[in-house]
Amino acid sequence: MNLYEFEGKQLFITHGIVTPCSVVVRRGDDVTTAYASLGVVDVVVKAQVLSGKRGKNNGIRFCATLEEVQSAVDDLFSLQIRDQYVAAVLIEEKLQIAREHYLSITYNTTTKQPMVVYSTKGGMDIEEVEENEIRKTNIEILNPSVPVDIPYVQELWKCFFSEDARVVEINPLIQTADGRFIAADAKVALDDDAFYRHPQWEQYEPRTMLGRLPTEREIEAKKIDEGEAYYRGTAGKYIELDGDIAMILNGGGASIANMDALIQAGLSPANYTEYSGNPPREKVYQLAKVVLSKPGIKGLWMCGNVANFTNVKETFLGIIDALDEIKPTYPIVVRRDGPESAEGFALLEECAQRNHLNIKMFKKDVGMSETAGVLAQMIQS
Amino acid sequence: MSILISQNTKVLVQGMTGKEGAKGAKAMSDYGTSVLCGVTPGKGGQEVDGKPVYNSVGEAMTVFPDINTSVIYVPPFAAKAAILEAIENNISLINVFVERIPIADTAYCLAAAKEKGIRILGPSSLGCVVPGVARLGVMGGPQVQEIFTPGSIGVISRSGGMSNELSWQLTKQGLGQSTTVHVGGDLLMGTTYADLLRLFEADEQTKAVMIYGEHGGSYEFEIVDLIQNKEYTKPLAIYIGGKFVSAFPEGMNIGHAGAIVERGKGAAEKEAALHSVGVRIAQRYEDLVTLVQ
Repeated sequence: MNLYEFEGKQLFITHGIVTPCSVVVRRGDDVTTAYASLGVVDVVVKAQVLSGKRGKNNGIRFCATLEEVQSAVDDLFSLQIRDQYVAAVLIEEKLQIAREHYLSITYNTTTKQPMVVYSTKGGMDIEEVEENEIRKTNIEILNPSVPVDIPYVQELWKCFFSEDARVVEINPLIQTADGRFIAADAKVALDDDAFYRHPQWEQYEPRTMLGRLPTEREIEAKKIDEGEAYYRGTAGKYIELDGDIAMILNGGGASIANMDALIQAGLSPANYTEYSGNPPREKVYQLAKVVLSKPGIKGLWMCGNVANFTNVKETFLGIIDALDEIKPTYPIVVRRDGPESAEGFALLEECAQRNHLNIKMFKKDVGMSETAGVLAQMIQS
Repeated sequence: MSILISQNTKVLVQGMTGKEGAKGAKAMSDYGTSVLCGVTPGKGGQEVDGKPVYNSVGEAMTVFPDINTSVIYVPPFAAKAAILEAIENNISLINVFVERIPIADTAYCLAAAKEKGIRILGPSSLGCVVPGVARLGVMGGPQVQEIFTPGSIGVISRSGGMSNELSWQLTKQGLGQSTTVHVGGDLLMGTTYADLLRLFEADEQTKAVMIYGEHGGSYEFEIVDLIQNKEYTKPLAIYIGGKFVSAFPEGMNIGHAGAIVERGKGAAEKEAALHSVGVRIAQRYEDLVTLVQ
């Protein structure tokens, strides 16, 4: 989960990193009170979005009067920044900047250990800084030795490790005219797989990077994998897209290949969804209900590889429960194989007959991509 | 010959009393792999499928000193302790089936394994199959006999399902597999493509290798270095999934955790770098079978 700047800064403060005085404003909040609460004249007004490059995309405004602040807040709430929904606006004291540094910690996939990246050339154009002006330090997680000569690196390491982050970044890390260091921005990505040891993460509001608020269906689907049995199979992945082909895919890998395959077949996905890891019938049922609830669907593609350990019968029963309720009239193509697939397909066949479904079913003798073409033909005819 | 496992593989199953653990133990035994025993803390004295269960890895090793491989099926919050226990007992190959292990725990375990020269396959790995000889984990499921046949192609996959699909396509073409390995889809991989290509290079049975890769991470770039240094010289075909993902914003996580869209490390950049050292690039994963011949 990616955090908004103001959420990241709250974590920074917990770990002893100084951030500017600030106040968070939501849609409809009273800007006058918020601005007055800071007790300063010159402020920076910043859109709260999940992607970077705000500065270059008109997401940061400098203001010196209440009128300017009010108009900046109104304007930012009316915009999308790099296609991202503006969830809130942060009003912050303007700093007296002497220098801008860059500091981050993330996992290096070559060493498979955390890595500190630091440069004294921070700010908006960090991507263009020369390699020799960037200092990279690997941290041995078994016996962490964190550089001592980089401002806030100890604090940031504590934040990274104890908060189970995948990325923490301060850019710019400001050095003020009087020599103090202040984190002027915060980019934090938390490790979703560690949520069980951070119950406080539940307070974070729902979010998506798709340039809008999460849809009702996305919020509904996410709940499927929450709770005690969160690791017993994955069935909570639903990203709503613009197309009209409902997708119920299987496997993290195959599902990605099959999204490509559907588009190559000239069709357009209504969603990205996959279930895998042998989820129980109930989870699959809930997921199928979410996927099939989208209006305007012209076809359903349920496509999965030959399963290793996901029980095809058990998971198909979840799908069948949903089909029995919804009784779709649009074409359906199914391709799947694996444990108890003969039983699973027999049950699906019975479901198709009692609900008069327009359905074609394939096992492993037909390739996955090929069946996307079959669906395209069924829709045309 | 084969890589990673052989007739001499002697397996311990950590978490054997759980549903997936019991299934894994049975899948391995059914395929002729020697499963000696299991470990579940607090459940010592029980039996699963006729195999004894012990409270600790140390206890199991005392009774079965031949154990050289552990396959781990425990919930994610118990994974770190289980992996470290196997490492402390010097088990040389550890296959971690567990999905959704916090990345910090994975980094910790990989570092601990590296210190002792222990190989971890995974996390989130369904294991590997040496057709007709042995398998680790549940790869192939109940259809393993149909899907896998002995042959000359090495298969490496980030995706468990695609390990099966690709092996099945090779079997249909009459090519067969030398070893099929599922490296797992996490951002941090215990055993990488490059690690396996070194093993396949040394394996006489393997004439060529195919890889099902994903966007995200820098693992494909290690292959480029390996080929440039002539440490891998056999034909290699690769498919990198996730072209549609490039339409999503940076940092958005879909599919496997490892498939985080990173700027400059997307499918297109990887393909260009691999193509420049002679790797055959498949546009559809189905083309891998043709390209590898």
